[in-house]
Amino acid sequence: MTTDALARPALARPATLRRISTQSGLNTAAGHLLMVLLSIFCLFPVYWMLVSSFRPANTLFETSLWPTQPSLDNYTRAIDAIPIARMLVNTLVFSAVSTVFQLLTGILAAFAFARWRFPLDKLVYTAVALTWLVPFQVVMIPNYLLIAQMGLLDSVLALILPNIAAALAIMLLAQAMRGFPREVIEAARMDGASNWRILWEVLVPNLRGTIASLAILIFISTWNEYFWPLLLSRTAENSVVQIGIQMFMTAEGNQWGPLMAASTLASLPVLVIYIVLQRQVVQSFMKSGIR
Amino acid sequence: MWIYWPLVDAMRLSFYQWNMLPTSPQIFVGWENYQRIFALPKFWQALRNTGVYILGLLPLAVLIPLAIAIYTHDLPERWRNIYRAIIFVPMIIAPVVAAAVWRWLLDPSYGLTNQAIKGMGLDPVKFLSDPDVAIWTVIVITGWKLMGFSTLILSAANANINPTLIEAARMDGAGKWEIIRDVRLPLLSSTVLFLVVMTILLGAQWSFTYINVLTGGGPLGATTNIYYLLWDFGFSTMSVGWGSASAVILFLGFGVVAFVLFRLIDRYSFHDN
Repeated sequence: MTTDALARPALARPATLRRISTQSGLNTAAGHLLMVLLSIFCLFPVYWMLVSSFRPANTLFETSLWPTQPSLDNYTRAIDAIPIARMLVNTLVFSAVSTVFQLLTGILAAFAFARWRFPLDKLVYTAVALTWLVPFQVVMIPNYLLIAQMGLLDSVLALILPNIAAALAIMLLAQAMRGFPREVIEAARMDGASNWRILWEVLVPNLRGTIASLAILIFISTWNEYFWPLLLSRTAENSVVQIGIQMFMTAEGNQWGPLMAASTLASLPVLVIYIVLQRQVVQSFMKSGIR
Repeated sequence: MWIYWPLVDAMRLSFYQWNMLPTSPQIFVGWENYQRIFALPKFWQALRNTGVYILGLLPLAVLIPLAIAIYTHDLPERWRNIYRAIIFVPMIIAPVVAAAVWRWLLDPSYGLTNQAIKGMGLDPVKFLSDPDVAIWTVIVITGWKLMGFSTLILSAANANINPTLIEAARMDGAGKWEIIRDVRLPLLSSTVLFLVVMTILLGAQWSFTYINVLTGGGPLGATTNIYYLLWDFGFSTMSVGWGSASAVILFLGFGVVAFVLFRLIDRYSFHDN
């Protein structure tokens, strides 16, 4: 009796352990399978774009997973059809200038909100923060009219103008500055540093990380911007590459090969940034989500 | 300057009839624009579709990412990073590019998807031209773009959960599922709520580009949502009054929904001390 009672748990234990481990092994395999399927779902369209872009017209409708006769035909045809180099330069200018200005205005405004008390400061901050929630479609007509009155339709400058300041940049930077140790700023002030010097020589160098990830975020989202350019564009020469792709789809019918080549060119800069700076890109997107 | 002044201007223009040409007169029509819009079946259809978009996006933008975040958390670091990196890729692809690529994949005669469907001996699916299917196609593509972002946010929140809480639950004899149900989910609830609110507020807006590029709101208005309708009013029919009036309706509606949702968040979010 006693031996039996003692033996039973001893026998039972390895059995349950084995059951759990095979079960969790199956769970892991099933989990990996699901994750791989999901990864394919996420990655495949991008991969297919790349593959299709290297397929010359006569093999475009193949279903093999890699180009059997890779060629750059589609790229030359895309370059012939739309001024894609010019558009890429425009996109680069648009993204780079917007990024620099949003950072500049963001840093100045954030400093004002974080460091100074002035009448209605909370209200102004809320007003700025709420602009982030106004759907673009609500204000597009008046914005469009304003640009039209300024005679700036169809120019890169018009693309940049509404993008020189953004609530998101101001909010993220103000938050970072509020979190900055007060003692350091007070110490600098004791040494006779002006607000201007405190901002540029104390705060900004110390917030490099935040500023860098914000810069990545602004650059990528401006690069991918579609609405506003779509409203303003009249000629391909003065437009951005996203609009080039859109024009390609409507004007040229279904020239899938060159379209995929143009799409690849339009995504390449962002993909390269992502592959090189993956961790920072992910962080910058995350910070913008958790406010 | 680019938000508030235009907002006021939109309200002013919503009482006028004008075709956007600087030379033609702006005629004051009072509330007529609003009355016409509310009387339009298209408006109600767009509103209903907006609801469908939001409901359809919720699983893709919240549920699946939640499952991924919890599942990948226990994986070895290398796998975790690889999966999350891959799932994030659609997020950085430009919407127009995404639309172009999906259009190619879904092409009724040569697209890979339909070739595969035909390969299995089934009839090709008109993903973008069948009114019943098109809206779901657009929803899935929008979800494809969003999934990585939600996964990331939820993963971060999940990683922030204090491991001692999980350990304590395990000591008390809680199994894997019980830990997820009783510890992780309650602690993640405020992040989940945040994503739900984001999806409700912005979900329909995110699909704009795909509607614009892939279906143009059709077939028969089946994929139009309220944001797209606004665009349509403003820039296809060149009716500033209509466009502005619907913008004001949208803004007020959006404001009310946002206000209610943020109040709900305040009341129901679960705080981890």
